[in-house]
Amino acid sequence: MTRRARIKIIISILIIVLVGTLISMSLYNKPHTDVAKSSPNISLASKTLLDDFENDENLANSKYLEQIIQVSGTISELSVSKGKGIVTLGNKDSFGNIMCHLSAKENEKMTALEKGQSITIKGICTGYLMDVILVKCVIINQQ
Amino acid sequence: MKSLHILLCCFLFSALMNGQEKFLTKQGFTSFFSSSPVEDIKADNNQVLSIIDTSTGAIAISILMKSFMFEKSLMQEHFNENYVESDKYPKAIFKGQIANFKNLGNDEQLVSIHGDITIHGVTKKIETQAKIVRTEENISLTGTFPITVADFKIKIPSVVINNIAETVAVTFELDHTPYKK
Repeated sequence: MTRRARIKIIISILIIVLVGTLISMSLYNKPHTDVAKSSPNISLASKTLLDDFENDENLANSKYLEQIIQVSGTISELSVSKGKGIVTLGNKDSFGNIMCHLSAKENEKMTALEKGQSITIKGICTGYLMDVILVKCVIINQQ
Repeated sequence: MKSLHILLCCFLFSALMNGQEKFLTKQGFTSFFSSSPVEDIKADNNQVLSIIDTSTGAIAISILMKSFMFEKSLMQEHFNENYVESDKYPKAIFKGQIANFKNLGNDEQLVSIHGDITIHGVTKKIETQAKIVRTEENISLTGTFPITVADFKIKIPSVVINNIAETVAVTFELDHTPYKK
């Protein structure tokens, strides 16, 4: 093998290793879904979402889990837990509600909200306990 | 799994019937921490549901697996898809008893909690110590306990066996308030 050919082989191996490392690094550091910049997979009323979970949790899980959901409803409760805002959508008569845990950036908008207001919120659904839970929520609009 | 859900639902509805005696939180915190020579992995969950029946000292906790938030999205993906299979087993559940609950004073003290924990469809008996502060308006429970990953039939591929600890530390902070409807 000539010296030239040997150098060529070494360089191509180096390039392959480098590209491989870069690809695995970018995979490893893949960012979380940015809810604010993503368009929702599903848009619906808070009551429809809650009814679906109350009627058949397994079916609703397969439909909604890990999806970006845009939900419209009435604010029944506003609370703060560990410095993070939580907007609850529902009405006083229902047992369950939709609990929207706001993303850190959205916290400051909490002060402008009040109970009884209509609102549209976008977030990722993680499941159903007593309430349907959305995390990383972003406020779309309020009336 | 299904009967556990039914049990939990019964518990929730009985909680509704006599609201005075139940304390609950919907924003409980739990996290787990895995430390290995290769990397540390931590995930937080701020959507824990925990209910205490103050007439008996019984406690029921439900946790959504998909609510665990990791620093790296790839870790979160692997955790949900490969390890705990959260599509198949969306919840972790604990049902147990706080020992000597009736005789608790208002001061912070240590209590023993024992019961059954279900993760990844596998149920194990567990006993742990927790710090409890009980007042008229609040019951707070904090503590930490170890969980052995293999106990719950969670398979870690050999490629990443060095990245994940065999035993992870689970921490919880549950701040219950009286249930009012």
